[in-house]
Amino acid sequence: MPTQPPLPPLLAPYVSSLPQSSLTVLSSVLGATGNWLVLRYLYAALSAPSNSETTFGLNGSDGAKNRKVVLVSFTRGWEFWRSEAKRLGLDLARLTDKRQFAFVDGLSELFYTPAASAPGAPSPFPGATPRTVLPVRSQPGPVPARGPQPVSRSNNVNANPTSKEIGPVKRLHLSGSGVGALDALEREIAAVVKQLKTPTPGDVEEPEVLLVVDQPDLLLAATGPSKGIGATEMSEWVMGLQQNTHATILTLAADSPLIHNASMSAQQTATPLESEHAAFAIESAHRAQMVMQLRNLETGAARDVSGVLRVSKGGAWGQNDTGAEGNWEEREVLYFVQRDGGVSVFGRGE
Amino acid sequence: MSFRKRNIGLSAGADRASAPNSSAQPQQAPETPETNPGIRPSPDDGRPTTSTGSRSLDNLLAGHGGLPIGKTLLIEENGTTDFAGALLRYYAAEGVVQDQRIHVVGMPEQWGRSLPGLIGPAEAADEKPSKRKGERMKIAWRYERLGEFGAGVAGSRAPTPTSGDQGQDAANGNQQPAFCHAFDLTKRLTHPSIANITYVPLARSNEPFFVSIHKQLQTAIAQSPPNTVHRIIIPSLLNPTLYPPEVCQPDHLLPFLHSLRALMSTSSARITAMITLPLSLFPRSSGLVRWVELLSDGVIELCPFPHSADALATSGAATSHEEPPQGVLKTHRLPVLHERGGGSDQNIGQDWAFTLSRRKFEIKPFSLPPAEGDKEAQDAAAPGGMPKKADLEF
Repeated sequence: MPTQPPLPPLLAPYVSSLPQSSLTVLSSVLGATGNWLVLRYLYAALSAPSNSETTFGLNGSDGAKNRKVVLVSFTRGWEFWRSEAKRLGLDLARLTDKRQFAFVDGLSELFYTPAASAPGAPSPFPGATPRTVLPVRSQPGPVPARGPQPVSRSNNVNANPTSKEIGPVKRLHLSGSGVGALDALEREIAAVVKQLKTPTPGDVEEPEVLLVVDQPDLLLAATGPSKGIGATEMSEWVMGLQQNTHATILTLAADSPLIHNASMSAQQTATPLESEHAAFAIESAHRAQMVMQLRNLETGAARDVSGVLRVSKGGAWGQNDTGAEGNWEEREVLYFVQRDGGVSVFGRGE
Repeated sequence: MSFRKRNIGLSAGADRASAPNSSAQPQQAPETPETNPGIRPSPDDGRPTTSTGSRSLDNLLAGHGGLPIGKTLLIEENGTTDFAGALLRYYAAEGVVQDQRIHVVGMPEQWGRSLPGLIGPAEAADEKPSKRKGERMKIAWRYERLGEFGAGVAGSRAPTPTSGDQGQDAANGNQQPAFCHAFDLTKRLTHPSIANITYVPLARSNEPFFVSIHKQLQTAIAQSPPNTVHRIIIPSLLNPTLYPPEVCQPDHLLPFLHSLRALMSTSSARITAMITLPLSLFPRSSGLVRWVELLSDGVIELCPFPHSADALATSGAATSHEEPPQGVLKTHRLPVLHERGGGSDQNIGQDWAFTLSRRKFEIKPFSLPPAEGDKEAQDAAAPGGMPKKADLEF
């Protein structure tokens, strides 16, 4: 079996050019997860500038641009993303040092803070607010020099020595309830984005920051309306995050109990979890330029097919006529993830 | 697939333990094979795995030959039977035998006293014809300690001598320690380290319910020596006879499972977990259960046959001396494989049947038996034999 290119040619037009201020929704199900596709987005955004010969054609003039990525993951840790990206030839730790990439950890300490770092942990919220409103210009001096820990604030590093061993990441904490808790998370993420945007001396123009939020629906599911967080609040939260970034990618679960139980035709009444999740997922799809759905084969599992990928236009497609969004078409393809991490994407019957 | 690119350099032959593995935690893999017999590198990508105590379940887990460290396995069961409980007991007993720390959530100490008794290494208890060893390719001797790659039935040919001795010799004890053991459900396990089981009670306190469980687990793990391997066992999650009703709310349960995931993914700790969930009370079609599944690394569903299906089950055995299957097993998600995107495992897409006997939980491919009641049709077809060739041509 031949070695696959890191970015399958059939997939390239969909992952490499994301229009300005666009939202892309990537939905997955239990047996067809979307991590490989997220990694393809990271690859398309981060690997292009380094080798200049690949920037023609697909990326057009975008290829020369300064691209950066912020990955916020709520269900998987730094170790997973780092090792999986390495299979693609992306060294996320090195990219973090070069301030092209930042990882925000929404897994480790989101709900319960470990006992070991308890003294340092409660401080981020009070600390974060004044810092984010500081003028950005005051920071560029020390920040590039402090290479290995670009996204952690200095006081955090001292208080929490465990953050060093899992890599240069920022950890999110959810405290309180309702919109206030979400706003605090938004500020934390926005601070990371802003720090990445701070122009380094060599840069000519403002960098484009791609924000990938992996499974924000977990936040919704694990809090719910009883804690004052519903689909509306989540959508506003995402919208707030979008304001700071060039493009945003959301990955959501789209399993049938989470989407279809809330519909009118369902037999039993939906639980708040189901109805809020369905509302959030559907609203996100309506606001997205592109929706990529991953699902299992309807005909049962196969040994050489991992699942079906359907790319379709989202509700916001065609609203701004920049022309940049016209170079792809809707289609449905099959994909196969090999054991070595390579992915082949092909049409039915090919 | 035999020419698939492996990440293991051939030149590392002198020191197999230091074979580079780019994907798993590289700092752990080199030390694990030597220090701990209960942990071995996965034949697929070299990440450390540990046995579930049931060989056929080990073989089902996407070619890793065991449950990878840091992963959760969720076992769902329909109906009122307790096959999942038997799997949990095997899992716990294997941990006891391997000197790992067991943490049982919500069960009294009687549970630990009813663990199945040890027979010996799984290899010895298996009555495989010994000619298998004679036919083995000698070139592969280096890899014998590893599990069989993508094993369907046979499984690990773990520490048996290459000289073709009988498997029984492996039980004598002067061999390398076994990775997986066989247990007898009718006996009781007696082992010095059985006292090391930690029982996390489901007591009400002033803290939220799951917060206190998580804290106890966390402190127990933090206080143990750094090289300890832990097993977290949560039997019958959300069962109303054990758990108060309010914890079925997603805002209680899901943060707990999320934090459990966080606890297990810390690179310093070596933890595996197995959770069972009664599906009759919490159906898979509900959003909450789907989130529980999404937060687990492996999801396996057991569908025992109802009692009236005994007739079908009996005829389902391929031969008379095989035990009839007792239910169907579905794999919805497998550790590591599905996290990466999934789908390339040879076990995927198979229909599985399970049989629980006194000595083992066996998982076999399931096939419907020939319709035995349909005698007439078979007889009618017989005299005609195969249709003549002329009949088939157009």
